[in-house]
Amino acid sequence: MAGATIDHMISLTILIAALLVAMTTYNGMFATAVDYDRNRQVANKAVDIMNTICLSPGNPVNWGETNASVLGFGLQDPEVGGYVLSPYSIMRLQVSNSSGHDQIVEYPPGSGVFYNNMSGKFGHGIFTPVGDCVDYTNVAELLGINGTYGFRLDLMPTLDVRIEQLDTNPLKLAVEVYGSGLPMSGATLNFHLFHVSDGEGGSPAITTYSDVTQTGPSGAVDIVFSDVTKIGNNDPSYTFTVYVSIGGINGVGYYTHNDLLGDSQYIIPLINNFDDGTVLIAHNWIVDPPAVQYNATFYILTSDFQLIPVPLDYNSTGLLNFGQGKPYYITEIPDSEVGLLVISYRKSAVEMGNVILPWGVGTLGISTSFGGGINSESSTYRFVATELRQVTISGISYQVKVLTWSLRG
Amino acid sequence: MRTVEVLFVIIILLGAFVITTQFAVLPSPSQAFGTNLRELSKSTLETLDAQGTLSQTVFTNDTDAWGDLQKAISASLPPNMVYNLSVYDLSADSQGFVSYRLANSISDAGFGADSDAASLLVTSPNVTFTQDPQKVGESTGQNITLYILNCSDANGWWITGYTGQNLATEFYNLLSPYFATTVLINSTSQLGSLLDDTLSVGNIQNAVVINTFGEAVPIPSTYASLYDDDFAEYCYVLGQKVNSYNWTWASIVGYPFYYVTNTDYFYDDDNSWGIYGMEDYNVKQAGLNAFLQGLNDRSYDNDPDDIKAGVNVVYLTSIARENCSYYGIYPSSYHTSSRALDKTVLVDYYGLDANELFVRPQDDPETWSIDESNYIPAATYKNTEGGAFAAVGLTRTPDARVTVLALLMYYHPLVYRSEFGASGTSRLVTLQLGQQGGT
Repeated sequence: MAGATIDHMISLTILIAALLVAMTTYNGMFATAVDYDRNRQVANKAVDIMNTICLSPGNPVNWGETNASVLGFGLQDPEVGGYVLSPYSIMRLQVSNSSGHDQIVEYPPGSGVFYNNMSGKFGHGIFTPVGDCVDYTNVAELLGINGTYGFRLDLMPTLDVRIEQLDTNPLKLAVEVYGSGLPMSGATLNFHLFHVSDGEGGSPAITTYSDVTQTGPSGAVDIVFSDVTKIGNNDPSYTFTVYVSIGGINGVGYYTHNDLLGDSQYIIPLINNFDDGTVLIAHNWIVDPPAVQYNATFYILTSDFQLIPVPLDYNSTGLLNFGQGKPYYITEIPDSEVGLLVISYRKSAVEMGNVILPWGVGTLGISTSFGGGINSESSTYRFVATELRQVTISGISYQVKVLTWSLRG
Repeated sequence: MRTVEVLFVIIILLGAFVITTQFAVLPSPSQAFGTNLRELSKSTLETLDAQGTLSQTVFTNDTDAWGDLQKAISASLPPNMVYNLSVYDLSADSQGFVSYRLANSISDAGFGADSDAASLLVTSPNVTFTQDPQKVGESTGQNITLYILNCSDANGWWITGYTGQNLATEFYNLLSPYFATTVLINSTSQLGSLLDDTLSVGNIQNAVVINTFGEAVPIPSTYASLYDDDFAEYCYVLGQKVNSYNWTWASIVGYPFYYVTNTDYFYDDDNSWGIYGMEDYNVKQAGLNAFLQGLNDRSYDNDPDDIKAGVNVVYLTSIARENCSYYGIYPSSYHTSSRALDKTVLVDYYGLDANELFVRPQDDPETWSIDESNYIPAATYKNTEGGAFAAVGLTRTPDARVTVLALLMYYHPLVYRSEFGASGTSRLVTLQLGQQGGT
């Protein structure tokens, strides 16, 4: 009798021990499985968001070319389809204060009129009225994820084109092309130099130099402009743009040098209206010296990366005064074509500069980020899904990255 | 003995535990959360071919071009990603079976367990694909001639923005590939010769005649003199000719046979809207009724009854849309129809068989006087006794493609296209991607 009782006690002990081991093991496994399932949902949502952004033009399909309200979100170029994004729709994304690194611009200061700042280097950038932009909350609602998922969209050119000024008398520039960290030898370079020089009647003028060359075995090449030299002690003012092609992918790089005191641009071009392509050529109020004389020309970027000058119909030249008189002029560009609005200006007899408004994001290869900040939006997220695609914008190859996370913990 | 039983229980429990654990395997993290490699691969191929560079490269043996392609792929992909790009040559045997032969391949590393691929069919830049339409009537051994009214001595109405002559050019460009012979009728006197079978150009039997002058129909001077007191009777004669020659008469816009036009004969008459060389006396609505009487081999009676109605916006039928794709003709999928014709007259009374282009609208209860569902916006009506009549009752300005679509839907000639799978013309490019080092 006592033996049977002991056997039963041993059996019961072993059974309980086995159950405890099983429960502990399976509990962890089940918890992992639940996490897997939740994370999988986030990963699937990342694919959905990426597909919607890259493979649908939105509604109305040409919303990027108008001031129309956006009823459906998507960045695909409706005239091309596939993995080609609209260079215009991206210009209407409100990147300021959402990605955190671009500050919104108020112009004129104190006026309460704000511009979205999609900035590039050297003061070039796309400044769009905030009222015409679509913000992150609006897009999240249009995508049907407001309050459930957060996302961030990063657009960056596939090729990294680095330019350095080696000499100014004559002008000598070094161009290096990298892709995914690798030097790109044998790349074809279509380059253009906008050299600011004296024009008629006190206005500055733009002289362009264009040519084609290739990168060497190290992915680099030096380019010399023998006609562009110092004038007295003053360095030349210019913007150099180079469009790079290799094996089906294209990139763009640019470099600007202004012969001015200080780093700030004296002129800021602001987009006034998407519908009619009007642009404000405005004095930058934050710089001190009073008046600058400007001369503006629009250059259409062709599919083979040539730049065709198109004279502006009105206000292509003018005198911008600081705070009084004419602080800005309105001009109109051919808004159905992507290109560069190049504005040269002179502050004094010797100080000259130039600033560019890229019409269409790809024309200067501007990178941008749009969406929520991972850290600011939710501190409880545990998993961020990443989705990557290759796209083309105005002929320039870009990589699109979408980061997605759940806001429900 | 009981100790042995207990041991059995322990073994069974542990066995069950081990077996269950073996089956409860979760997918690998890269499978569950990795980047969608297939779409990344597809977008990479499309980007590489955005300006046709990939298509050019895969059809060449130039090592520099292949080297550039390799650099471009490496630059496009993140450093932790490996790839294999393979190009397959498509060849078809005499029986049409397509086979794939590996023509070239580039790769930067071996793949682990997880990879995915996408493919793109590219066409040689040196190849032009053609389409060769079958001639109308060829399948039945008929030699059908297309006559396009291009009369220099006629004016049009409701062809706003066009002239009959430039519409004739448009019809010529769109339709002449489908006909063995196309003849432009350049004057009303030539039209008279055609009606009298003395033109001796083309084959008058079974022909197609397109009136490019909208609501006006050219009238030869001899016929104008003959029917000077009742021009609707000229329309009756036209209907008879369509019947006897087994023509298909096409009216491209508006109310057919509403005016007669001859700039010499009616040099001092206008259509009350300032267009001279045109006359509506005793014609108007009676013109179409007279034409239908002639077509249907009935006795002539000047009947001024209006047999049209405005039915507003109408949409192409699914069959019409399919034909748009088949023939590569893409008019707008919806139009406004202000001259839809009464089905109860054409189909029910005259017994014509309607091949319709647009979906008939539902009855609108607010327009109590008409039942919109009884009105046909555009169709080709076949008369069983001979002849047919294509009437496009849309509002101005005319879209020639709608009439062309009506005629092609009626005759349905085949289109022979050169195949994309023909040997040496196309290659299949696959890009396989894999991730190294987990996620």
